[in-house]
Amino acid sequence: MGKWGFIWLAYGVAGVVLVGYLVALWRRLGEISEELTALERKPGRSAS
Amino acid sequence: MQPTSVATKLLGGGALLVLGVGLYVGLSVVPPDAVQGEVQRIMYLHVPAILTAYLAYFVVFCASILYLWKRNLAYDAVAVASAEIGVLFTGITLATGSIWGKSTWGVWWTWDARLTLTAILFTIYMGYLMLRAFAEDPQAAARYGAVLAILGFLDIPLNHFAVQWWRTLHQPSTLLRAGGPSIDSRMLTALLVNLAGLVLLYGYFLAERFRLERIRHRVLALRLQRGRRG
Repeated sequence: MGKWGFIWLAYGVAGVVLVGYLVALWRRLGEISEELTALERKPGRSAS
Repeated sequence: MQPTSVATKLLGGGALLVLGVGLYVGLSVVPPDAVQGEVQRIMYLHVPAILTAYLAYFVVFCASILYLWKRNLAYDAVAVASAEIGVLFTGITLATGSIWGKSTWGVWWTWDARLTLTAILFTIYMGYLMLRAFAEDPQAAARYGAVLAILGFLDIPLNHFAVQWWRTLHQPSTLLRAGGPSIDSRMLTALLVNLAGLVLLYGYFLAERFRLERIRHRVLALRLQRGRRG
């Protein structure tokens, strides 16, 4: 692997990790928000 | 649910913009290093990543002390959110350091003091996140987590000074050192721009992850309330 190959590998890995985390974070936020909405719409009843 | 605030969106937009400039400057404007050549450009990602991780763990440390003092779960939410992002940036540091090491030292990994202490730091806060994930009582998890986070933070000064105290393969500090930074001003500028970009990104991640944690607390409280009624 050439010197630029190592550079692109390092920046590529970091980019994938950061974008992956962001997407996972948004997904988790969406799921927990849906659960909260479901719980708040059904007063007095368990959502699970 | 409260949507993402304007301030948080601005943080995210600012991070994208500054990181874009930082990448451009680091990869094409700044000249290559006289000794290492082009591959030294990994530094513009590697060093800001570990400094951002240190910032994240410092926030965990402060929030954990505040939680133990005030017993307010909002501080604990800040600690959990920041620890997760700290682990993310430490992981990036280890990965980019390994790639940089392979290209300059010829090995992906060596049990050098700096590398080992960074791996220990990663493991401590991974352990912290696992403790938080598997503990059933939120108050007990917050209490034990806070103690672990405070003790774990002691690894950071040890890690920072490892390159001065022991003979290591890892190069000495170029930025946070007595007498000021030891690098060319153009390289320093690229490093600081990327650091600013990652700190902004950390701020964005922290705001969103904190929001997630607060919603999770609300969901747990509602489930408990329903369980008692039912």
